[in-house]
Amino acid sequence: MKHLLLILEPVIWLLFGAGLALGTMLLTGFVLVVGLAIPMGIVPPEALNYERAYGLASSFIGRVILLALIALPLWKGAHHVRSLALDFGGAERDGAVGSLLYLAAAGVSVLGIIAVVGL
Amino acid sequence: MTEAAEMMHVEVTRFDPDQDEVPKVQEYDIPIQSDWKVLDAINYIKDEVDSSLSHRWSCRMAVCGSCGMMVNGEPKLTCKTSLADYSGSIKIEPLANFPIVRDLVVDIDGFMDKFRQVKPWILRAKERAEDMEALNEKGTFSQSPAELGAFKQFSMCINCLLCYSACPVVANEPEFIGPAAIALGHRYNLDSRDEGARERNETFRGEGTVFSCSFANECSQVCPKNVDPAAAVNQAKLGAVIDWAKGLVLPREGA
Repeated sequence: MKHLLLILEPVIWLLFGAGLALGTMLLTGFVLVVGLAIPMGIVPPEALNYERAYGLASSFIGRVILLALIALPLWKGAHHVRSLALDFGGAERDGAVGSLLYLAAAGVSVLGIIAVVGL
Repeated sequence: MTEAAEMMHVEVTRFDPDQDEVPKVQEYDIPIQSDWKVLDAINYIKDEVDSSLSHRWSCRMAVCGSCGMMVNGEPKLTCKTSLADYSGSIKIEPLANFPIVRDLVVDIDGFMDKFRQVKPWILRAKERAEDMEALNEKGTFSQSPAELGAFKQFSMCINCLLCYSACPVVANEPEFIGPAAIALGHRYNLDSRDEGARERNETFRGEGTVFSCSFANECSQVCPKNVDPAAAVNQAKLGAVIDWAKGLVLPREGA
């Protein structure tokens, strides 16, 4: 288990790094627009009416961004929680804990792909 | 000495492997001078109070890297740390995360083994004929200021091991190859004269190396030479990943 994780480490780290960078930037932008700019009237509410939002989300770029927003932060979270578990629980369970977390992230990523493709 | 000497209460870890099961604390009250470093206080105890105290030191100018100790629980170069920063009492212990040999002296053999794993010297793919010609003509390999600048910061490490004492990953997994060793391996990977990056990247992808780092940044916080080992480790992660991805699409030379 641990050995497999070691072989996959470059892939996992790339997903983690991408999740860290993209998730931080995209989610911040998302919160800025939906949470602040629209309620404060800086951006007119029509900017995100259903047709426009659906048009954006179902374009190719929109689907890629949506998938990145769904999947990558999960990998970032899984990796962080694994590090946390390692700090508290020690090395013996790291293989099992890591596998479980990454399987969960991979599972939801697959669901994300299905959702985005079927949009 | 003209002014009345100020006094300081110093708690020092003592450990004699022939007599003690566990380290114990010995307390000294000594007169100090306002311009003393922590190392001066320890040397005073050794010279004037208790000659049985063992500690390592040499240059007194933050170059040799031998006087690293825990001062009030923080890893410090004692020759670079002013006593004036502490008032009244001070606690001096051997560097954390290392086995104690005696008193304030720790065993660094484990580090030396880790050190060798990253091959911290210039590796050439093979000695080529043109290398020899270049050597004969120029006397050595030439390197531009920019090429030197690419790795210079990471070459300033004095192996004082403060970063290993501060690192939470080393504390948890003693086999972790650690900040200074990775920074030095990365320094050679960045060197324009070096051709050993592939070998080192393979080492870096092994167990207990760059990916064990959780980027707590403690190493860079305590580094007395501003090497920023945390940056080196995380650049090394990216380097190891890029090298891995390249290996998937490009055939390896000579493989």
